[in-house]
Amino acid sequence: MIQTFTQTIIKKFKADPFFWLLFPLLLYIVVIAIYPLFFSFRISLFDYRLTDPNQTQTFVGLENYIRAFKDPTVLISLKNTLIYVAGTVTVELLFGLGLALLFSPETKLAQFVRSFLLIPMALPPLVVGLIWKSLYNADFGVIPYYLKQLGLDVGRGPLGELSTAMPAVMLIDIWQWTPLLMVIFLAGLKSLPEEPYEAAYVDGSSRWQSFIYLTLPLMKPTFLIAFLLRTVQSFKVFDTIYATTAGGPGQVTTVLNYHIYTVGLTFFDMGYAAALANILLVMVTVLSIVYILVMTRRQL
Amino acid sequence: MYKKRSTLEKTILIILSLLAIAFFLIPIYWLLTTSLKFGRDSFAIPPTWLFFDATLKNFTEVLTQSKTFMYIKNSIIITAGTTFLSLILGVPAGYAIARSKFRFVKNSAYFFLLLLMLPPVAMLIPFYLIMRDLSLIGTYMSLILLNTVFDSAFVVWMMRSYFADVPQEMEEAALVDGASHFSAFLKVALPLSVPGIIASALYTIIYSWNDFLFALMLTSPTTKTIPLGILASFSSVEISWGKMAVMSIFAIIPAVIISLFLNRYFVQGLTAGATKG
Repeated sequence: MIQTFTQTIIKKFKADPFFWLLFPLLLYIVVIAIYPLFFSFRISLFDYRLTDPNQTQTFVGLENYIRAFKDPTVLISLKNTLIYVAGTVTVELLFGLGLALLFSPETKLAQFVRSFLLIPMALPPLVVGLIWKSLYNADFGVIPYYLKQLGLDVGRGPLGELSTAMPAVMLIDIWQWTPLLMVIFLAGLKSLPEEPYEAAYVDGSSRWQSFIYLTLPLMKPTFLIAFLLRTVQSFKVFDTIYATTAGGPGQVTTVLNYHIYTVGLTFFDMGYAAALANILLVMVTVLSIVYILVMTRRQL
Repeated sequence: MYKKRSTLEKTILIILSLLAIAFFLIPIYWLLTTSLKFGRDSFAIPPTWLFFDATLKNFTEVLTQSKTFMYIKNSIIITAGTTFLSLILGVPAGYAIARSKFRFVKNSAYFFLLLLMLPPVAMLIPFYLIMRDLSLIGTYMSLILLNTVFDSAFVVWMMRSYFADVPQEMEEAALVDGASHFSAFLKVALPLSVPGIIASALYTIIYSWNDFLFALMLTSPTTKTIPLGILASFSSVEISWGKMAVMSIFAIIPAVIISLFLNRYFVQGLTAGATKG
């Protein structure tokens, strides 16, 4: 197999003058990314704990994968991840469209405001998590203070209560990423054709009717792309959870990513962590392939 | 062209806009004011929004700690290294994909897009083990190598769509004049695509500067980056929100500069990264 691969590479070099420019990166990725992924598969077939003083690696076959399906935390974290992704993406799509419509006029003022709204998504997610942690703090946080003024019982603060911790963490994601959808939708709105609108106007349609019957259907492809992009990205959440709840209280904010991190990089149960990581990898890859197919179909 | 909006409609739109602006900017405002507050004021009930005793105490305390500059230095080295490596590898690759007529080369673009979407933790676990076996944990190189996987994939994706929009006639003319493909790339295509390269560079800067998960596992006490430095202001005897806020301000400087002053490139990158197939 390696021989045929090398032969293909040599053939490419001879046939395509541009292949030279691609090759260094391809080589880099194979060594730095693809090899570790194979390594990860191998490790997942072993019982390998870094806490073991002898560092023994015992071959256990698919034991780690079977363990994953029996691990109650995996099920809980999978459920939490789905809630997190579904909730954040839905709200961000709606708010993002709203923001795009609100700030779409090409006035100096709208442009000025838009540039400020770009800030959240460029911030380090860890810092975002810490800012919100201080805003949510039960004793001196701003948010519990005003909630108390409204006569609500905040208990141990939004992040400390079982019922509110997940929505509170999701709000942070919404704060950070809604502006990204605004930007994507603005680009989508800008590329809409003008003729249907003129025709509709001549036919006496109102602004609202044009929005419902023209803008929304015409924006469908942009919506789909934005939905898939944010879904894939939302699966990656880690920093804000680490900074705010560390997966708690109980396990209500333990997402799959966080669980893998805990198993692998705090308990150092590497074989099992690699198995979990590979399960996540397959899930996200399938989603990504759907995203890519949709995106390329749209271009044709 | 539609009839003018009524006063009521206008008022509702203005209120909605103001609410949106408040929602997105208050947390950032809160961070900035916390950095200027004495400890007791950052815990004040009711919260003080505008009138508090401003102090630079937090800044002087943070800036007199030698560790602060170590964190900043480490972040700069890792960001610079990652950006340099990602551009060196990614820009030519993006050009090759945009210009090649071969399916294998053209379609590799989707391979890089797929790579870009991998869950970082899935890559980190084996990479951590390999770096550990090679005794490279705690080196700048380990972090630069891993960051570059994701950042170079982004650069390829971005530059591919940028080069596709650059007209090929001048390169073809150079080829007719006897230039090699490589020098046509270097001397003709590259100077025409400077804005795309700037946009790509801004992205790699943001991504590697903001990285926390990789740095958490791959740094040693002497190679910690700013995000880890921020957490360190918690682990000491007292939790100092003021110091945390000052460190956070160092962490958000690139984000603010890029959003406010280089937003033209930033938006270009966002839309190219997300929607161009």
